[in-house]
Amino acid sequence: MNNFALEIWDDEGAACTLYSVRWEELEESETDRFFNRFTEDPENEYYQAALELFELISVPIKNKYGATNDFINRHEKRAQALPPRPNNKIEEIAILGVNFPLRVFCYRINTEILVLFNGGIKSALTAQDSPDLKPKFNEAQEFAKRIEAALRAGLIEIDNQKRSLTDGANTTDIYL
Amino acid sequence: MRSKVAQRLEQKVPADTKIFIAKYADIVVRINELIREKGYSQKNLAENLGKKPSEISKWLNSEHNFTLRSLAKLEAELGEEIINVPQRRKLSASPSKSFTVTVHTNLVNRNTTFKSASIEKVEPQVQVA
Repeated sequence: MNNFALEIWDDEGAACTLYSVRWEELEESETDRFFNRFTEDPENEYYQAALELFELISVPIKNKYGATNDFINRHEKRAQALPPRPNNKIEEIAILGVNFPLRVFCYRINTEILVLFNGGIKSALTAQDSPDLKPKFNEAQEFAKRIEAALRAGLIEIDNQKRSLTDGANTTDIYL
Repeated sequence: MRSKVAQRLEQKVPADTKIFIAKYADIVVRINELIREKGYSQKNLAENLGKKPSEISKWLNSEHNFTLRSLAKLEAELGEEIINVPQRRKLSASPSKSFTVTVHTNLVNRNTTFKSASIEKVEPQVQVA
């Protein structure tokens, strides 16, 4: 796997700082690529779903509640995915999770720091069985593994006061 | 610092989607909070709401919207408000006259009927530098 940078996607929220990952050789982050793919053309079949996902990330998670278990409850091996799982016992709160056609992978560092990856179209029962999602699922596992290892080795640290990640070099992009 | 894509998308989200997501998130968080506070298991609550375990798989494969009736059932079972609709008429009073506000409280204990109370006007405290 090539190197990638861990970079701030949005740190203007009141509850949670959002990071993304960017391949060293690319200009756009993986999260930008995900949203661009589905929102550049309003006629795109998944345009509305992508906007709903963006709004969920940008308001309830980023500004109001943070990356709590209410939203980060869909575990995909090492990583997680949004939107949250439906509460399968209570139909009243199943609305966004059932049959939602898109997934965006992420990795929660804590409720105040969430790293967003890429995602795709969920067309089968599992992410691994969905042809569009499978490569992004595999990438998300690698991203999560490398971030987890870097945190464990102390290569990156959590700055609780600034609600951010730091590699000690005082740069906004952290290369892994 | 904010991604340009995030800035662009913020302008694109229609007002109704913003409202839908905000209310969806608030209701999800509120229901989860009440379930924890009241010590329900999800299974318990489903049963108390009159849902059979066999219905669960049906829920998993279909899409449901919140309905006023389903929210009312949940409020009744959990004994607390999930949504709160603001009252249209606001209370107002002239600062020179005294006034009384009567507050009706529907207590959680179902054996207790409505209770009323009076609130006396209190003069604002003025700090002198």
